[in-house]
Amino acid sequence: MAASRWNDNMSNNVSITKEEVMAVFPKVAEIVADALGCDVSEVKPESSLINDLGAESIDFLDIVFRLERAFKVKIPRGKIVEEARGSLSEAEFEKGGVVTEAGLERLRAFLNEVPAERLKGPLNVADIPKLFTTETFCKMVIRQQRAAAGAGAA
Amino acid sequence: MSPHFRAFTFVDRILSVEGDGGVTVRGAYAIPDKVERFPHLLAAEATGQLAAWVAMAKLDFRLRPVAGIAARVDLLTPPRPGQTLELAADIETLDDSAVAYHGVAMADGAPVVRLHHAVGPMVPMTDYDDPEAVRTHYQVLRGPGAEPVAFAGVPLIQARPVGGQPGVSRLAIIEVPDEAPFFLDHFPRRPVFPGTLLVQANLEVTLGLAAELPPPRSGGAWTPRAILDSKLRAFIGPGERVEVETVVEECDGQTARFRVTARRGRKPIGSGTLLLAGKEEA
Repeated sequence: MAASRWNDNMSNNVSITKEEVMAVFPKVAEIVADALGCDVSEVKPESSLINDLGAESIDFLDIVFRLERAFKVKIPRGKIVEEARGSLSEAEFEKGGVVTEAGLERLRAFLNEVPAERLKGPLNVADIPKLFTTETFCKMVIRQQRAAAGAGAA
Repeated sequence: MSPHFRAFTFVDRILSVEGDGGVTVRGAYAIPDKVERFPHLLAAEATGQLAAWVAMAKLDFRLRPVAGIAARVDLLTPPRPGQTLELAADIETLDDSAVAYHGVAMADGAPVVRLHHAVGPMVPMTDYDDPEAVRTHYQVLRGPGAEPVAFAGVPLIQARPVGGQPGVSRLAIIEVPDEAPFFLDHFPRRPVFPGTLLVQANLEVTLGLAAELPPPRSGGAWTPRAILDSKLRAFIGPGERVEVETVVEECDGQTARFRVTARRGRKPIGSGTLLLAGKEEA
């Protein structure tokens, strides 16, 4: 991915305010709760969908499709790791399936909603989805809303 | 005769495939007149299979979808042996992770089932079937059509009630057979108990619980109307044991909702909500 596009993604991500997140959070939390069959009170912004709420890969698909219908956006599937990697090559991002220190730095910046204590090495690439929180999905929605608004204005 | 593309395949012909982004597909399936029964859910399976065939073709048979999620399945006019199902599916999105679609099966001008917001996650084709055999059969479906009346019926997989509270809940056990013709078609390289048959068994357990409720206000028996938020989380293999629990969520005298969970050991492997109702009030 070109450095400029990664910088755009990063600035899009960094500039998402807490207010913007909390504006979409109630609906996102309701969707997560419905998809996982849990009480909405259990779904917090910092809840890890896999570790805290017991989500599996089918639930991620379910949640993404429900978010798309509810917010009328298109959420690219399987792209979040690629977006986080940005201008780092795959070899720079991970070695032998383990995220490098440079890769961890990128993840900390891109997934800045994830508590710092969860983003430390050694981290297997396959375990990156375990970092995703409800707020991660709120930001996915906001990024796609912005992208759609930008495309509409163009 | 090989059970491949016969024992659990419910598309005889793919009549048209139109569109590039969103794709609309039409097909047909002749329900053999000699089968004892052909439940609604097999018509839903047929609709899903129609979408699956086109999804597989679009992905060059590298991947195949499996049953995953359906936001809603409306159970409408019951299908009958001897009828021809007219199948239609609209593929909303398709990529290497999943196919999302909605569809309908009609018979003699009446809707049999409607599928809303269905999602089939993708799995590697070679783990389940021979890609070239699947490709060849797709070309048959797009061309002259498969030999009709090849389906010989599926055994009724009954769940054995083992507990519950009358009028409140029911717990039952499904003993998945070690062998059955449908395993040879679903799928040749990895036998998987069809999710549709699990849902059908769940429905039968729920009807047993519904019979313990007061009858509907409009009279008659509680009749399945829809399946909501159906999700299948794991594959079930031959010879496995599945626990099904159905619980009354709500009953207003004319409509009743049941929450159903299927478990393997302690792990939930499927869930959904079943909506039953009395006959329509005048």
